[in-house]
Amino acid sequence: MIEDSGFIDVRIGPPVDTFGGAKGEPNARKFEVLGYAFIARKP
Amino acid sequence: MSDITPVDPAALREEVKKKYRDVAIKPNDTYHFHTGRRLAARLGYDSMIVDGMPDEAVEAFAGVANPFSLRDLKPGERVVDLGSGAGFDCFFAAGKVGSAGHVIGIDMTKEMLTKSRNTAQSMGLRNVEFREGIIEELPVEDGWADVVISNGVINLCADKRRVFAEIGRVVKSGGHLQFADIANGRPVPASAVANVDLWTA
Repeated sequence: MIEDSGFIDVRIGPPVDTFGGAKGEPNARKFEVLGYAFIARKP
Repeated sequence: MSDITPVDPAALREEVKKKYRDVAIKPNDTYHFHTGRRLAARLGYDSMIVDGMPDEAVEAFAGVANPFSLRDLKPGERVVDLGSGAGFDCFFAAGKVGSAGHVIGIDMTKEMLTKSRNTAQSMGLRNVEFREGIIEELPVEDGWADVVISNGVINLCADKRRVFAEIGRVVKSGGHLQFADIANGRPVPASAVANVDLWTA
């Protein structure tokens, strides 16, 4: 979707356990929800 | 992050406003996500910078990862933050871009805008402003930004393709999109995706 918008050089950082220890952890574990950093450049 | 969103965009927007209105007013309550300084440390934000911020700048932070982890901002850059909330990422960015740079935070929640504007004023920041708007229709001119950032917001939008198209409009050629968001490794049932109440639960 990012590239479809005209961006290039898309990179994704390592996963982060965003919800670990929070109330939302059970649902996050159930669906393997993690946080990520993304970067892309407009040519 | 799927672009297939079988929910009413307006209903989803109201649900998101309601949730983050609560975070703005009661940042120390318990939510399904972490908030504040503990979250910033968990996500790897530079503690030297965060420790120097007043509580009101950090307490309602509710990001999901660190949009500055793959590329640092440079002095003089113009930055737009999509869904700026109480302003934490904007304040962090303001320190990076310095007085020659400028940061615009966009948010649709009035309580968050009030909080972020008051905090910017109390911090004496002159290179940050907050504008009311939705990220599918950014109140920013074409090609203004060197960098667009966002943290845990795009996943809450019904029309993600429109959001990315808007980002492409406001970022200048050679500029960057650097954002943080969540993604699921296992498919969420269609019935859950269609339930707007679950988007912020």
